[in-house]
Parts: sequence; structure tokens; C-alpha cells
Amino acid sequence: MNNPYQPIPTKILDVIEETPNIRTFVLKPEKEIPFLAGQFVELTIPGFGEAPFTPSSSHFEREVLEMTIMRVGRATGALFTKKPGDLLGIRGPYGKPYPLKEFEGRDIYIVGGGVGLAPLRALFLALVHEINKYGRIFLRYGARTPKDIVYKKQLKEWEKIKKVDIDLSVDSADEPWERKVGVVTCLMDEIPCDVKKSVAVVCGPPIMMKFVTKKLLDAGFPGKSIYLSMEMNMSCGLGQCGHCRLGPYFTCKDGPVLTWEQIKDIEEPFL
Amino acid sequence: MTIYFLPNERRVNWLARLAGGYNLFIPVKAGNGVHWQRFEKEQVDLDALALKEIRAAEPIKSFLFSPRERVALFPEPLEEPADGKPALLFGVKGCDLRGLAVHQKMFLEGEFADPFYSKRLKETVLIGADCPEPKDSCFCNLVGLKPYTVDGVDLVLSVIDEGWLVEVVSERGAKLIEGENWQPAAERQISKRDAQRQQAEGVLQQRNPKPLNPNLPQVIAERTNDEKFWAEAAKDCVECFGCLMTCPTCFCFLLYDQAKGDKVERTKVWDACYMAMYARVGGGANPRAKFIKRFINRFHCKFMHGKNQHGFYFCSGCGRCFTACMGKIDIRNIIGRL
Ligand SMILES: Cc1cc2nc3c(=O)[nH]c(=O)nc-3n(C[C@H](O)[C@H](O)[C@H](O)COP(=O)(O)OP(=O)(O)OC[C@H]3O[C@@H](n4cnc5c(N)ncnc54)[C@H](O)[C@@H]3O)c2cc1C
Ligand code: SF4
Ligand code: SF4
Ligand code: SF4
Ligand code: FES
Repeated sequence: MNNPYQPIPTKILDVIEETPNIRTFVLKPEKEIPFLAGQFVELTIPGFGEAPFTPSSSHFEREVLEMTIMRVGRATGALFTKKPGDLLGIRGPYGKPYPLKEFEGRDIYIVGGGVGLAPLRALFLALVHEINKYGRIFLRYGARTPKDIVYKKQLKEWEKIKKVDIDLSVDSADEPWERKVGVVTCLMDEIPCDVKKSVAVVCGPPIMMKFVTKKLLDAGFPGKSIYLSMEMNMSCGLGQCGHCRLGPYFTCKDGPVLTWEQIKDIEEPFL
Repeated sequence: MTIYFLPNERRVNWLARLAGGYNLFIPVKAGNGVHWQRFEKEQVDLDALALKEIRAAEPIKSFLFSPRERVALFPEPLEEPADGKPALLFGVKGCDLRGLAVHQKMFLEGEFADPFYSKRLKETVLIGADCPEPKDSCFCNLVGLKPYTVDGVDLVLSVIDEGWLVEVVSERGAKLIEGENWQPAAERQISKRDAQRQQAEGVLQQRNPKPLNPNLPQVIAERTNDEKFWAEAAKDCVECFGCLMTCPTCFCFLLYDQAKGDKVERTKVWDACYMAMYARVGGGANPRAKFIKRFINRFHCKFMHGKNQHGFYFCSGCGRCFTACMGKIDIRNIIGRL
């Protein structure tokens, strides 16, 4: 029986402390999870239930997955007590990946906020893996304070990659900080790509997504080229249980990434 | 397909024979309603058998999509469910089948099919029965249904004074009437059945004369922000969720895990979009924190998305929701005013 509710046993190999409340879990599922950037999985925290997360590692490496997770409540709270060697479960992958074919030959303008950089890292790594296929890659990332920045070391490495352009901001700098201070939209006053031909990809807290989308539209990005990660409540991940409904979509199967064109008529699409 | 006739005196024998191979459930009159009951030959009272009455209080969904069901174990997976005696539902109504049609779309036709639902649906035998006596609560005619079944079941049964007419629909249905020395029904008997059906359609037409707005999905979309309309529609609602818990077409569920020693048991339970926690996301944000938004959601689900995406209303006109409703909110009046 092919049981879609059955998780695959998954061992924690490592836990990396990114910020005071965000950790990256390095996971080895018993069976390979054939995900593509943008898709998500349901992670079982035994005894505490499941929650949806997007792998943050490259889809060119699937035997070991990484997920970067913020502690916000019950399931994530329980997850944060777990250590290397502990057992979790994974079902998936679910949802639609980023349409990388459509991204080919175009500049890609990525905007992330907070832990929203996690799914964007999976995308970014997939893009740089085949960087010749794409135009330039811009990454704009904002966090609350310098302490809240995830992937600090990696960001420094990524800046060295040819065709990659990274800019960072923090809402407030309570320690020495050489880059911009302000919400992430302050990095968007000049958008150095041909907006009509480029794609924009956004993931972050709803309020950030709302303002970033507005800024992208004002800058001239067409709605169909703005890709947004929509976070809704999810239970099954399979398109059956109804929970993730967003207008006419089930975000678990039609999303979780939807374009602005798809959601623009939905009343208050950002929570 | 051929229609057969079973005289009244042979009904019990046939039922008893069916009960030999299946878990046979029959609708019986009890209190002021009709309820599903397991058929036991010794206890059966054919006068209580409610085949002409409207649908039972409980939707047949409970037999197929259980209110709670274990769907996974962790870390060792769930074993294959043992094969039990399959169920036979005797006296399924046209409106009941709309529920199955919705669940077919939701649970079986997407990328991931529910293997438990699929197995149970395949095994469950359905015998339809006409609805010659629609009640005030019935409005199946408004959502495109008839007060009788023609397909989607194995046999269709119609009660006439001298016995039962049984029309064979499926091969499995044909097997159910093997070996009983059935006589083909007479023309006169079939005309009687057809007249009964027509009369029932007439009654429904009389009770619910005004068709739904043919642009209902679009009108609902346009009126979504008409707070006055929805506040008025919902004003007697006490948020008891009875309307969703009795609804045969509602499909929402929640997976929840419980620790059992060093194992985890995953259960699938019915859920309802009127519950405040239903759409809440991690950290506490909620797209439908206000009840009125949740109230409207039901209309979006049943009369907008269902129709737009699958071509039919996710409502059967069975009237269970307002029969159960503490505030006596008749859904028919709300959609009738749109
Ligand atoms: C597609 C997708 C990808 C995601 N990717 C990431 C990611 O990469 N990294 C990341 O950090 N986050 C990600 N998230 C968000 C993450 O799923 C949530 O933060 C997580 O589900 C929070 O779970 P929690 O139990 O800790 O939070 P809580 O706030 O405790 O609970 C959230 C859930 O539990 C329910 N709930 C809580 N309390 C109760 C109660 N008392 N009764 C009934 N129900 C209750 C809520 O309705 C909700 O379903 C993603 C979300 C989605 C949809
Ligand atoms: S969303 Fe609401 S109305 Fe639709 S099936 Fe679920 S509980 Fe029923
Ligand atoms: S909404 Fe009411 S009338 Fe329609 S199927 Fe559900 S219970 Fe029956
Ligand atoms: S049954 Fe009636 S009172 Fe109860 S939630 Fe439904 S509409 Fe509201
Ligand atoms: S999470 Fe169940 S339908 Fe999307």
C-alpha cells in the first residue's frame, strides 16, 4: 500500500545554530526525498505532530536535506529540543517547484526576510549550480538585527560568486554594522535589472511580502514574474484536507509559491 | 437495464441473504427521524424500514470517510488493513451521492489518492432508493439533483404498494439478485414508479420554485465584501458547527499525532472551517480570525470553488445543515437571495 500519510524515518545528523531562534537541521531520510527548489515536506516531530517546511539545501544533493527552522510554537518548540542522532519523520515532497525553465536567460531578483531566506537558499543554490543558464542573480536580504541574520558565513562566500550581487539590511543595528539599516525595501530603491524581462522571487513574513510586492510592482515587474511563497495553515499537504485554501487555490498543491498575477484578486492574500 | 419485481413477502429473505455476504445497513424510522441501523434478521421490523422516507440523519459519508481513522504509525508503518466483510448500504438517496462525488474529487482524483478511502469505496455496495416523499428540508432540485438515483449505485430500488422494483445498474448489482427467481417487472409497475418519481419532482418544484442564480459563483465572489448581507445572514449563528459536522459533502480533515509509548499514532479526524483554529498559522496569524469570514468561507467552498473547479455545487440540497442548526439558519434562503 502506498500510504501518503506515512512518514519516512529520518535521522538528525547535525543541528546548526543560525540565530537565537533559528536552527538548521541536517537530516538524513531513510529514502531519498526527490524534491526540487520551492517544494516543501511535512516534518514529523514524534509525538508533537507535523509541520510544513521547505528544504533549504540544494536539490542537487538529496540524500541529506537541510531545513532552516524558526521556533514559533508547539511543534517547532519540540523540534528545538532534538539533537543529532534523534529520529524525525518526513513526507513529501509536495507542491510545485520554482519553474526554473522559465527563469533561464533572465536576471533573477531575490528578496528575503528573516527565516524566509531558507527556501530561497534552496533556489539560490540550484541557480548557482547551473549559473550559465541564468542571467545575473541579485539577493536582497533583511533581518531584524545583525544577530538575526541566517547563513552568515555562506553569505560572505556567495558574494564572491561571479554574476551574483548581494545586499543586506537590518531593521536596527545594536552592534557594529557596515551595511544598510532599514527594512528590506530600503535595498530596493534602485533595482539594477531590466524589470520587464527579469523575475522576482520573494519569501518572508507576510507584512514584508506585502511591501516588497508593492515595491516590485511600482518598479515595473509584471505580476506574472513575481513569485511569492504563501504561508497558509497546512495539514495533509496532499490537496485533500482543505486547510491551506487561499482563494481558489490549495497552496499545498497549487503553491506554495504563487505569482502575484495568480493571487492579486484575492482579498488580503498576505495574512 | 432490466427492472425486476420482488413481492413484499419475499423482501426479508432477500435482505437476509444480502446480510450473509455483507455488513448490511438499512435506514429505519426512530424518533422523528431516519437512522442507519445494522440489519439483524431476528430483530428486523419491515414496518420500520424507511425506504420511502428522505435520507437518514447521518450522511453515508460516515461509512466511507470515518469521523476518526488511524492512517499511519511511526516509526514502523501501519500494516495493511485486514479484509473485513464489506458494507452494503441499502437505500442510498440521490443527495447522498453528491457527497460521494465531492469526495471522489477531493480524495481520489488529485495527485495523491487516499488508499483507505479508495479501498472502502470500491468494496462498499450501494443500493439506491427513490425519494417519493420529499420534505420541507429538501432542495435537491436547486442543485441539479433528482429525488431518485439512476447511476452511481449497484441497484436502484423503488417501493410500490405490492413490493419492490429493482433496477440493475452494475455487474456487481446483477450478482446481488442472482438465484432468487426474480420476475421482470410489469409495464404497469414501471409506470407506477415513473409516476411516483414525477410526482416527487413536482413536490420539490413547488416547494423550491425559484432556481438558484445561474451566476451564483460569480455573484458570491462579488458580494464577498458585502458585510451587511453576510452579517444579516449569520446573525442567528451560535458557532456550534452542527451544519458542517452533519454535512455529507464537507471533506475537511485534520491529521493529528499522539504518542503511544515509543510509537506515534496518526489519526485523521473530521475538521470544520468554522473553527477558529482551522486556518491559524505558526506563530498565531489567522486569515479568518473573524467569524464572519469563516461563515462566508463555507459559501465560497460550496457554491463558488466547487462549481468553478469541478462543475457542480458542493451541496446536495439534503437540508441536514439547517435541521441541525441551533439558529435555524436555512442555507437555501441565503443562496436564494444572492
Ligand atoms: C509551505 C511552507 C513552508 C514553510 N517553510 C518553513 C521553513 O523553511 N522554515 C520555517 O521556520 N518555517 C517554515 N514554515 C512555517 C512553519 O510551518 C510554521 O512555523 C510551523 O508550522 C509552526 O508550527 P508550531 O507548531 O511550532 O507553531 P504553532 O503556532 O504552535 O502552531 C501552528 C499550527 O498548530 C495549530 N495549533 C497551535 N496551537 C493549537 C491548539 N491549541 N489547538 C489546535 N491547533 C493548534 C495551528 O492551527 C497551526 O496549524 C513553512 C510553512 C509552509 C506552509
Ligand atoms: S471548507 Fe468548510 S464548507 Fe468546505 S468542506 Fe471544509 S468544512 Fe465544509
Ligand atoms: S450544505 Fe446543507 S443542504 Fe448542502 S449538502 Fe451540506 S448539509 Fe446538505
Ligand atoms: S449549525 Fe447553525 S448555528 Fe451552528 S455553526 Fe452552523 S450556521 Fe451556525
Ligand atoms: S494542506 Fe491539506 S489541502 Fe493543502
